[in-house]
Amino acid sequence: MNEFLKQLAETLEISEIKETDELKAFPEWDSLAVLSVIAMLDANYRVNLRAADFNAVKSVAELFNLVQSKKRA
Amino acid sequence: MNFTFQGKRISGVLTVVPANEKQFIEEMKNFDFPEARSLKLKEVMGYDKRRMVAGDVCVSDLAVFGMQNLFERKLLAPEDIDALLLTTQTPDYLMPPTSNIIQGRLGLKRDMLCLDINQACAGFVLGLIQAFMLLEQPSVRKVVLINADVLSRKASPRDRNIYPLIGDAAAITIVERDEDDSPIHASVKMDGSQHAALIIPAGGMRLPSSAETAKLENVGDRNLRSKDHLFMDGSAIFNFVQTEVPPLIEELLAAAGKSADSIDYFLCHQPNRFMLQKLADKMKIPHRKMPHNVVESFGNTSGSTIPMALALNFNGDLLKHQRQVCLAGFGAGLSWAAMLLRLGNLSFCEMIDYP
Repeated sequence: MNEFLKQLAETLEISEIKETDELKAFPEWDSLAVLSVIAMLDANYRVNLRAADFNAVKSVAELFNLVQSKKRA
Repeated sequence: MNFTFQGKRISGVLTVVPANEKQFIEEMKNFDFPEARSLKLKEVMGYDKRRMVAGDVCVSDLAVFGMQNLFERKLLAPEDIDALLLTTQTPDYLMPPTSNIIQGRLGLKRDMLCLDINQACAGFVLGLIQAFMLLEQPSVRKVVLINADVLSRKASPRDRNIYPLIGDAAAITIVERDEDDSPIHASVKMDGSQHAALIIPAGGMRLPSSAETAKLENVGDRNLRSKDHLFMDGSAIFNFVQTEVPPLIEELLAAAGKSADSIDYFLCHQPNRFMLQKLADKMKIPHRKMPHNVVESFGNTSGSTIPMALALNFNGDLLKHQRQVCLAGFGAGLSWAAMLLRLGNLSFCEMIDYP
């Protein structure tokens, strides 16, 4: 999880991210941010998310869980 | 599906860009976004300058200008053209074919074939395949392939998803027979079930243009667009490219019995810098072998981006040398196509301005 938080923070260029943070609450969260996160997850986790997948995801922890479940699938 | 050809070559490439240049830094004021995020977009996607037609300039205007330039400089003889293929998404009219209009305006011979191909960003590779197939006919010795679009005229200036990336251009590629019979391999895939990912919804028979389709609508993310405008589902296209293009190229290399290392240049369609860098990283191709610099100076010009990349980066090199290249186009349709061929010893490879 810590590694994931670090990678997400780097991608969004935010100094620190907690698992309880809400994605849509970040001022940096826009279509470009979504694309950057999709690319990061593909490169680091071989997980291919679509923009629509983010609609159901609220917190950073939920995103982490989604990535884990896709990795196993 | 796979194709193979022999004894065909590209002998020259001329691209035509409108002289009218737009700066992203000026245009971003039209978008309802924080400036910092627009600057981030500029940095990541590589948006900077691009060329757009001014007023009502059409595809045939750019094409005729380029063809006349070649005739005047004796780089192409009008009577040698046996077929004129035009790949475009923005024809002058729904009817008749714009390729016929170009033929008429240039006064070309009647004993020839004109054909419009309705394909977009994969249009350069698809057009080459069509040109090579025609050259199998004894009566066809020289084919002119024109990839041209004026999509800026269909992009909403208030839509940050699409407007900053679109540029206009025409590319003229001369295709002919060759004594060198080293094989050319190509692969094509189509998925019409995803046709709505890149679409101009109105203006055809399904939804004719009307006052209703011209209305700007708030389409979310603070973007305004009408049904007459070009729509792109950016993240769906990104997923599509990252998922489908690497296996397309890998399978083509395998079919041709070639390794990625043996390819001098990977010349891909140029959607934006971000997508091309991610594609290169995913395929473990050094960035210097896969240019991604068309968008930052000219915008994404649809089917003409591969010739644009050639004229911009390799004009000197490809006049003197022969290189083993891999071409790949991907976009509306959805259509994606790749080709392996030897490219070089061109008689011209350059870019001119349409005044």
